[in-house]
Amino acid sequence: MNYKQYTIILGIVLMGVILAAGCTQGATQPAGEIKIGVVASLTGPVSNLGNGMWDSAVIAANEVNAAGGVYVKEYGGKVNITLIPGDDQSTPAGGQTAVTKLITEDKVDALVGGYSSAVTYAHEQIVAQYKVPYVVTGASSPTITHRTDIDTSYIFHHCPTTDTYGKYTTEFIDQVIRPAINAKFNFDAGRPLRLGIIYQDSQFGQGVYSAVNNTIHAENLNIQIVGAQSFKMAESDFHTTLTAIKAAKPDAVYVAAFTNEMVPMVTQARRDVGLNTFFLAVENNDAPAYYKGLGGYGNYSVIESRFSPYTVPTGTIADAVAAFKTPYTARFGSPPDMMGASTYEGVRIVAQAISDAGTVDKASVQQALVNLRMPQMIEAMQNGVITFSSNYHESQFKLYMEQLVWNPTAGETRPQIVWPENLKAADFVVPDWYTPGSG
Amino acid sequence: MVDVGILLQIVFWGLYAGCIYLLLATGLNLIFGVMKIVNFAHGEFLMLGAYVTAAIFALSGLNPYAIILLTMLVLVSIGGFVERLCFRPILGTGKLNEIFLSIGLIYVFENVAAVIWSDRWQSIQSPYSGISIPIGPVSLPLDYVIIMVVTTAILTGLYLFLERTQVGMAIRATSQNRRGAMLVGIDVERMDMLSFGIGSALAAAAGTLWVVSGQVFNPYMGSIPAIKAFAIIILGGLGSIPGAIIGGLLYGLAENATAFLVGGPWKDAVSFIVLIVVLIIRPRGLFGEAEE
Amino acid sequence: MKAPDSGRLFRYSTLLCLALAVIAPASGDIYLLNLLVLMLIFIIFASSWNLLALSGQGSLGHAAFFGIGAYASTLIAVKTGLSPFIALPLGGVVAAGVGLLIGLTCVRLKEWFLAMVTFGFAIITQTLVVSVLAPVTGGWSGLASPRLLSAAIPGNSFIEYYSILGIAALSILAIRALMGSKIGLAFAAIRENETEARASGVDPVRYRLLGFAASAFLAGVAGALEIHHFGYVTPDIFGIDISFLPVIYTIFGGLGTLAGPVIGTVILTIVSEGLMNFGLTFERFIIIGLILILVVIFLPRGLVSLPEEIRKRWKRHGDNPVVSQTKKE
Repeated sequence: MNYKQYTIILGIVLMGVILAAGCTQGATQPAGEIKIGVVASLTGPVSNLGNGMWDSAVIAANEVNAAGGVYVKEYGGKVNITLIPGDDQSTPAGGQTAVTKLITEDKVDALVGGYSSAVTYAHEQIVAQYKVPYVVTGASSPTITHRTDIDTSYIFHHCPTTDTYGKYTTEFIDQVIRPAINAKFNFDAGRPLRLGIIYQDSQFGQGVYSAVNNTIHAENLNIQIVGAQSFKMAESDFHTTLTAIKAAKPDAVYVAAFTNEMVPMVTQARRDVGLNTFFLAVENNDAPAYYKGLGGYGNYSVIESRFSPYTVPTGTIADAVAAFKTPYTARFGSPPDMMGASTYEGVRIVAQAISDAGTVDKASVQQALVNLRMPQMIEAMQNGVITFSSNYHESQFKLYMEQLVWNPTAGETRPQIVWPENLKAADFVVPDWYTPGSG
Repeated sequence: MVDVGILLQIVFWGLYAGCIYLLLATGLNLIFGVMKIVNFAHGEFLMLGAYVTAAIFALSGLNPYAIILLTMLVLVSIGGFVERLCFRPILGTGKLNEIFLSIGLIYVFENVAAVIWSDRWQSIQSPYSGISIPIGPVSLPLDYVIIMVVTTAILTGLYLFLERTQVGMAIRATSQNRRGAMLVGIDVERMDMLSFGIGSALAAAAGTLWVVSGQVFNPYMGSIPAIKAFAIIILGGLGSIPGAIIGGLLYGLAENATAFLVGGPWKDAVSFIVLIVVLIIRPRGLFGEAEE
Repeated sequence: MKAPDSGRLFRYSTLLCLALAVIAPASGDIYLLNLLVLMLIFIIFASSWNLLALSGQGSLGHAAFFGIGAYASTLIAVKTGLSPFIALPLGGVVAAGVGLLIGLTCVRLKEWFLAMVTFGFAIITQTLVVSVLAPVTGGWSGLASPRLLSAAIPGNSFIEYYSILGIAALSILAIRALMGSKIGLAFAAIRENETEARASGVDPVRYRLLGFAASAFLAGVAGALEIHHFGYVTPDIFGIDISFLPVIYTIFGGLGTLAGPVIGTVILTIVSEGLMNFGLTFERFIIIGLILILVVIFLPRGLVSLPEEIRKRWKRHGDNPVVSQTKKE
């Protein structure tokens, strides 16, 4: 290498540094504007979920701004919400960079979003350091607000956790499926339900699995886990796993998986392995791709839900959901999913908290979030209010169970709410092809 | 303790999984044989094959199995282009550059697909998806039987092409001795382009079969199968087509046996442990030549 | 190919680079600082991969060492209460030990075979970390890792930055010294022609193992740094993307040169970040992909060869501007 080479290389490096410095000059903040950073995976393997989160946040901001904005006492009037995207690129490093930029360059007043626990852990620490109110709406691990190595007081979790998933589904199995099977096949009423579990080998899957175990023991339910199998994330061939589960002769199979795994699994179970049983899916699958992918094989399977593209619990929620779904579908061409739903609510929650605080001062907004009591919007909450628990800052979702029933007009199955009693639209059905386990 | 019915089923699922792998691996190995390069972006042709099939299916409503030939034709040309524009200029500049180029191609293909078709999971339904043939304790889905037949047909076709046609023989000659082929007047660069195109078309066929077996697909689906295919040709021996076929079937069987005996999460790890053990004993793979 | 760059010019340019890096925090820009920290960590990581390439070997599973260093350093710091600064090199040592083991398995393997086996090791390591080692590693939930410096210390971001800058500079100097020594000569001999090297009394196995261990050590230190910076480690650290990044950065900058990994990391990070600030998502990766393809076609020896290529074309004015086809491993 000679002199010339080095000058040129150094020139490039120098230019690069200048470019980077230039690029990082954030916009100056006009007085009286609320800036919310949306942390989402806009690129990378989970970009489909991340883009749904961002789109939903846009709908929420538009809705608030169309109504004149958020009333902030400090400003003496209503101000608009401006959203700023932070692409975590589905990686911890990407999330850290994005969040640092949102906080230190864009000077956001609050953060919403955050998908994947591994990604969220890495940037939570910055949020804790800079004390910015953060409503996490995508990551499902309870650890997000339970960890003790950092100060999580500014972090609020508005998304059901794996503990919640496991609890509701297990209770449903005990209260509805077990009696229904025992009645249909004239079994002794005391016969325990034989449950098979298939879970993704990840924090999500293991979290659901342990929640099922914990619920069975804590509530002393008459459920016997007869087989448990796990699989590697992004797996698409489940034949052997299903064959092993079938050999355990279960009455029902609870699966903790993502849609791209759930669709081939149920298809292969019903079509190839002849596992004619109830499949129960976690709420993260309740999206159009799931119904389309399953086709007829989804018939009579069960899914847990907090937000469904095709059904709404009756009551006030129905109107609110329409107010979200209609503009979303019109603008983006397909209905929103549940990650989008909680992110939509996340933006509205932050707006409400800022309004309650009367200022964008972060400590006051944090206090407002702690004290928040907001009527439920598009997802059903415990007691109909959104409020964050005092110990772990978790909002309490009320999940419901849907059974998928074939709809000839759609050429796909459609969900019907079958549990709990106060929300249900139809009775749980045990179809004729269903074969109970034995052992 | 394990009953025979279950064992038979696991073998059958292993063979089915092997079909997709061995189509990918055969294509990869055909290209390696002729050009001595490995295209890490091979899985992107699988992904494109899936999308092209789905797109033609949505437009025409043709039987998806009929579309396989169309898809392969489309991918022959895409593969040829990629060879001509990207791989030919870097031939002989080092193996790491091939990896680097492949990574660039992966970025481009994945994200172009995401821009065109969005990043959502998609799927189509085969017209035969409801039909199964019960054989003993197993009920074989008609689609899988067709997939196995189609795979066999494609491999037979490839064999006849390589053994019986003038062009096929020229490809084999280039693969065995590039310099010698050049001396007898074979246009080796043309053979490069052709074999790359055929290799890509085999990946596309795997993509079509992937789609018709009811699997979901998105723009990022290609990278994992590509790496498995690569592991298979390493296991079977670089450049050896019988190696790719036997390696593919072995790999499918090993994966499924692991899933049953040890657990799903161990699938990849055990496959690689097998690979490492084989390589420690035979550093050039099962069917690999002693030296390049 | 000549590996180490020597002489006055090298010193001057290095000093200039360092000076730039030293004054950067003066902007007070935390985002820039964070970006630079990640960049420095990846410079170490890419350089470690480059070192392995210099010893005539390759790896597609370098995330294994990156991750092992991260886990080992975290566990040492958590269990013993030692400062992460002390745990860091120990993490590197553990990674080097594993690297030695893997190197032993691989001595007979070359090229693609070696690439696939190293790739497999990353997957096997991840599987072990989430299964049999889960009681120690926390499985998929991962582990909270102590920060390099407690957030309570005033100016911690700046001290952290300068520490990492120092470690990066030290690593590059160490590689330079290594390549200039007898070991570097032996590496070069093995790289060029193993049979001849053996004939002239160089034991290739010994030097290969040394290359593996040294590279794994540095990769482990880089991984530990990243994790002490994030404050949390999860098994995603063994991901395929992490294994491929040093390959991309090094070859983009210039394989086998000291400056290559540095330039590659810096430029690609800036391009990616810059495009992102324009709001590009998928398009960003299309552009980066095209850049990678164009660079490998027109500059097969990486960005460091750009001035040389320009000069060549200048000289060959009127000639057919063909890219030089250098045989390289």
